[in-house]
Amino acid sequence: MKIRLKLSKLSPWLAWLIGMGVVVAAGVGAGLIVFWKGLSVTNLTDLIPWGLWITIDLSSIAVSAGAFSLCAAVYLLGLKRFQPVARTATFIGLIGYSMALLTLLMDIGRPDRFWHAVVYWNKHSLLWEVTMCVTLYLAVLALESMPIFAQFEWLKKRWPKLSGKMSHVHHYAPYLAVIGLGLSMLHQSSLGAVYGVLKARPFWYRPDVSVLFIISAVAGGMSLTVFASMLSARLTRRVSVDDSLLERVAYFIGWTLVLYLYFRFWDALSMTYTYTPGRTEGLQLLTRGPLSFNFWAGEILLGIVAPMVLLLYRPTRTSQVWRMLALLLVVGGVVAYRWDTNISGLMIVLTYLPGEPIVEYTHYFPSLIEVLSGAGVVGYGLLAFSLGVRYLRVVDHRAVEAHAEEKQLTEPATTD
Amino acid sequence: MSQSKMNRRDFLKITAVGVTALAGAQVIRRAKASEPTPASGRKWAMVIDQSLCNGCGYCVMACRAHNDISPEITWNPVLEAGQVGDKKIYLPRPCMQCSQAPCVDVCPVKASHYRPDGIVMMNYDRCIGCRYCEVACPYGARSFNWKAFTEQNPAVPEWGQPEVARRPRGVVEKCAFCYQRIDRGLTLGMTPGVDPDATPACVVVCPVGARFFGDLNDPESNVSKLLKARTSYRLRADMGTGPRVYYLSATEENA
Amino acid sequence: MPKLERLIIAVMFALLAAGITLVVAQAQTQQPPQPTNSLTGDSCVACHKDIYDTWQSGAHGQSLTDPVFAESWNAQGKPGACLVCHATGYDPATGSSEAEGVACTGCHSPIPPNHPTDNMPIDASPDLCGRCHSDPRFATENWKLSAHYQRSMTCSVCHDPHSAGMKSVAGAINTSADASGLCANCHKGVMQNFPTSKHAEAGVTCVNCHLGFNVGTTDVTDFFSAHKAPDHSFVPTLDTCNKCHTNQMHAPGESVAAAAIAIEESGGTPTPLPTPVATPIPLVTNQPVPVSPFGFAGLAGLLGVVGGMVLSPWLERLYRHLNNKEGRKK
Repeated sequence: MKIRLKLSKLSPWLAWLIGMGVVVAAGVGAGLIVFWKGLSVTNLTDLIPWGLWITIDLSSIAVSAGAFSLCAAVYLLGLKRFQPVARTATFIGLIGYSMALLTLLMDIGRPDRFWHAVVYWNKHSLLWEVTMCVTLYLAVLALESMPIFAQFEWLKKRWPKLSGKMSHVHHYAPYLAVIGLGLSMLHQSSLGAVYGVLKARPFWYRPDVSVLFIISAVAGGMSLTVFASMLSARLTRRVSVDDSLLERVAYFIGWTLVLYLYFRFWDALSMTYTYTPGRTEGLQLLTRGPLSFNFWAGEILLGIVAPMVLLLYRPTRTSQVWRMLALLLVVGGVVAYRWDTNISGLMIVLTYLPGEPIVEYTHYFPSLIEVLSGAGVVGYGLLAFSLGVRYLRVVDHRAVEAHAEEKQLTEPATTD
Repeated sequence: MSQSKMNRRDFLKITAVGVTALAGAQVIRRAKASEPTPASGRKWAMVIDQSLCNGCGYCVMACRAHNDISPEITWNPVLEAGQVGDKKIYLPRPCMQCSQAPCVDVCPVKASHYRPDGIVMMNYDRCIGCRYCEVACPYGARSFNWKAFTEQNPAVPEWGQPEVARRPRGVVEKCAFCYQRIDRGLTLGMTPGVDPDATPACVVVCPVGARFFGDLNDPESNVSKLLKARTSYRLRADMGTGPRVYYLSATEENA
Repeated sequence: MPKLERLIIAVMFALLAAGITLVVAQAQTQQPPQPTNSLTGDSCVACHKDIYDTWQSGAHGQSLTDPVFAESWNAQGKPGACLVCHATGYDPATGSSEAEGVACTGCHSPIPPNHPTDNMPIDASPDLCGRCHSDPRFATENWKLSAHYQRSMTCSVCHDPHSAGMKSVAGAINTSADASGLCANCHKGVMQNFPTSKHAEAGVTCVNCHLGFNVGTTDVTDFFSAHKAPDHSFVPTLDTCNKCHTNQMHAPGESVAAAAIAIEESGGTPTPLPTPVATPIPLVTNQPVPVSPFGFAGLAGLLGVVGGMVLSPWLERLYRHLNNKEGRKK
């Protein structure tokens, strides 16, 4: 009886925090096991060395792409009215990139040597380029997020000067946006090119993988930003959003999906012509094989076509529930695309013995430790975002406007 | 006025000195880089005669012993490659030491790099274990250390004694043409491919003499002569990786 | 200054000078190892302990201490002629040997002056082993008749020179009680058909016909007495067949069964399984591992729940519309 009473006193917010806390704690425990025992606790093999963690890493970076696209829109294209959304996106970006780094730290065989890529260069390596860009972009995101942290009430009271200085970084936002745009264009596509330049894997070896990666990242990133904003607004009254802004962004996402579908269509169709060992089997894995549900239902139907229709058709776009559903589907589709790309190429084992290459298959399913640690990282992301909504008002469109008013009062008229 | 003239003169002096210093540094750096290693000027290659190989796996054991490899990893597996007549044919597959190695292109920290003599070397102290090279290798020649190898090596001392350090957990390893034997042999004046102590362990131990090793830049070496005399092929040469391991086919006549 | 004070200062200074000199001199006396004659056969174990252990547990290491030998040697009055092989570096003039048993310098000599910079010499050819193992009683000259020798194989292809036993290839020996596993490892082609033969069924293995071991015997000493090695020409002769099939000579028919029964009664050795090639490629199949239809159905079901919840107003409307069409009143 007593316990039931206690539970009923638990506010949803507290329950959420505790729930996520448990997930993060489990993730930390699993992560410690990984650091202690090494990667033999995963189901990764020499044939499939990249699995769930790399997918989470790729997906986190993809859905953080809202930051660069919206900041570019606001500060470089002059679409100032989207600034509140850009603010949310920047915060999501910071969380997303930190999630990616956490996952990568577990995934590389020598976490103690994570700094090697920054010190020892191989300019020919796309993965090196990705590492450098991600490191630099994380710094850019941190700087771009400083005004957000500066709004933290506790910080404002305790260290007002520091808070002021951090706020002032906002002045450099256009420059940071340019740098961020450049870095993001580089590494978002390079992540696709990491797969696309490997001649050893015929299913991956094509130049448009990088294009698909960046387009899906832009779509997924903006979708997550808008979805997170809308969800936060629904869940708490502290947060208020300007729905017209979000509706415009959703409209843009709809057209991005059209572009994405176009590229995906030709990408897949071009692979059906003439039998190429390794490549044809890869496509068959997606269209007919074990990944077919992921591909047709997850990626194409629910990941691109349905949200595209929902977001371009005004009645559904203006409806809150339909729009949120569509945006969530886009994010799911982007994650599914990265999982499918990674796993399909690795599942194909091409022989190198003389004669026509024979195609064999291997398989992979993540182990419990992988799932727990991956869930822990995702839980950390959700937790961090929730705390940001609650204490840093990252989704509060009023907060930005108020701040902008403040600035206008104290500074002379600047470019608008 | 005179002050600015002095400043300009000083500036020019400083610039001149700086440029000279930079140029000097470049010269020194280039000179150091071209310091001859024991093996520069060579182009190592391995030739494997499939008409002789009987799949006994001695090369696997010798490699495991001399390079202190865990029993769960094989740098040089022996694969079944069909049959000729009713004789089964085998194909031992060391690292191809490609001249256009995908693994060297993709390593983010240049742990995988070329040596002047063509061997694709691994710097195990630099490797971060990202496994990109493993994904990129068309021959599956690389193995990741999922576990640390702490037990006694079962192939030692019967098949040889370890000549290189054991790799730690979390790095990718592969065959390196027993560079330790080559380098040591060269400093002692031996000829790799001819003197057993300077030749890769797999070549030395083969009981039927199916493996050969030598310098392709030397037209008188055993590998050069073999490749001139007999038709050879390389694995997936169409991919442009430029492998350095040549295979002599088994035919009905010589199998 | 009084003389005593001077003396005390001088002594202190002298001690200081001596101390510094001592430290400097000790640092300098760390020279590289002395050349020539410093490495003897006894120094090997310091670096090569694992080889030493293998050697000690085998016939080469125990050639002097083996009880069969020791008994026979003592009974004959400890003749020095035996030590030429059973000890290392036996000097008949002085009657002393460098080491007991067939020790390191028995095969690896002369020791180079700057080992380990220079390798220990080794002559892998049968001539080195033949120094002891060519005694006519060994009858190992027939090794030179074998195809193995003619294809330039050495003794160490099959024999581990340190343990003086057979080489083991990843389980080859484990699958066979005798050395036949090693034969099967190289002669894989033969092993494709032999296991289904009548000889194999009866428990005959490679070493019975090609080395002359008695069927069912795994103990080498059972076969030969001291100094007699199996016939290393590996060529079976008529004598080999006659070991079991004497009764069938000139009398076919019933005796076939008798021969077979005789062999089976004597035990026989199971045919060694052919050693698999060293190809560790894990988890590869020729078709992709299919996802069970239930898996797909489950996923579709999950999506259906979410989709259904969103679409429920329209689904209900559709249901009512369909019902109305059938003429039922609402």
